[in-house]
Amino acid sequence: MSELEAAQAAMEACYEAGWSDGLPVLPPWPSRVEAFLATTSAPREAVVLSLDHLGRAVTVELAAVNAAMAGCKPEYFPVVLAALEALEAEGVARVGGWQSTTGGAPLLVVNGPVRQQLGFNASGNVLGPGFRANATVGRAIRLTILNALGIRPHDLDQSTQGTAAKWTLCVAENEEESPFEPLHAEWGCAASTSVVSALHIRSVDFVDNRQVSRPEQLLQDLAGTLVRTGAQVTAQGWAVILLGPEHAQLLAHHGYRKADVRQALWEKAAVSHQTLARAGKDGVEQPLQWRRPGRPQDGPPSDPLSVIRLVARPEHLAIVVTGAGTAGVSAVAHALGPSLNPGFQGWGWAAVSKWVR
Amino acid sequence: MADAIQLEKRGIPAAAICTNALRASADAMAKVQGFPGFRYAVIEHPVSNLGVEELRARAQQALPQVLEILLAPSREP
Repeated sequence: MSELEAAQAAMEACYEAGWSDGLPVLPPWPSRVEAFLATTSAPREAVVLSLDHLGRAVTVELAAVNAAMAGCKPEYFPVVLAALEALEAEGVARVGGWQSTTGGAPLLVVNGPVRQQLGFNASGNVLGPGFRANATVGRAIRLTILNALGIRPHDLDQSTQGTAAKWTLCVAENEEESPFEPLHAEWGCAASTSVVSALHIRSVDFVDNRQVSRPEQLLQDLAGTLVRTGAQVTAQGWAVILLGPEHAQLLAHHGYRKADVRQALWEKAAVSHQTLARAGKDGVEQPLQWRRPGRPQDGPPSDPLSVIRLVARPEHLAIVVTGAGTAGVSAVAHALGPSLNPGFQGWGWAAVSKWVR
Repeated sequence: MADAIQLEKRGIPAAAICTNALRASADAMAKVQGFPGFRYAVIEHPVSNLGVEELRARAQQALPQVLEILLAPSREP
């Protein structure tokens, strides 16, 4: 067998072992895994994330094996560990959120100098392929969920459809073209700190508006995607606005600060009772707050034009500037919020420096 | 499933009810909890969009299974 044939056979062996997400993985030779472990000061047996209801935990070593298989470079490993720490803090996984029929995936946002140091893409095609750091750090999380936690489809993962974001969804914020303070500044971190932030989302919906010049119209268009009825699962949700630089700069040019954008979107994230009733979502089932058709026992019918707010507080909308400033395109990612996921603590985040040797 | 198994392990009789669409996940969870073969009641899918009469029919499906499970619980392997 030639060396190339042996490499092929090793990848096939990983498939046979059931270690893949469907795409080829790199064989996690012990020496390769050791190269990952050498980048961090954390002991290999340290637990980074644990799921008590499954009796399973992710150790630094298990994370290294999966990061190696995902195609990460060893120097990416502290970012993977920070992402896992952020996901532990975020808490959705703690009560089975990663196994849910809702089928969402973690969105990872990378901020700070590690973006340039490791080559994370923050601009063109930020939600698409082409960049090893984005692709493999997100994939390392998925392989860890599949292999270390055993949350696999048709098994413990009950996703009805899932989302393409489950392969990998790791964006860097375009801090250089953003007129706003970056996401990690909201956690109280200095701009010079490298941080990974995490939030479990359902899917990513585009908002294309490249002719707009009035901020109120742009905000209304973004809100239109925030309030689409299909995305209203519980009484009130959370969301992330992945604001393209062109849209961010338009808003900033008209005097909007980040807090103003959030406030305006929160105010516009409301629909009439009638709109929800037409889609069979005007009622709310307690205690999980699922939206469902209204029933007589819900009480006297509201004024059909009464306004129902779909986001509880402005802080439940996150603004992240990412992508290229080459057209007026943004995206909205809905998140479920705490009612269906009692473990949910809001965005989780962690500094990369803690994990670097 | 996880809750029912934990209760049963503590000596509190418990019967989980699951729709047929979710059997694979229920079996997987029983294995994770160290209780493969844990018996549970199976009813037809779906549940969440049913009216009162249809729900009553699902309850009728579940009842004899639940009674049987409570009276003769699965043995831990």
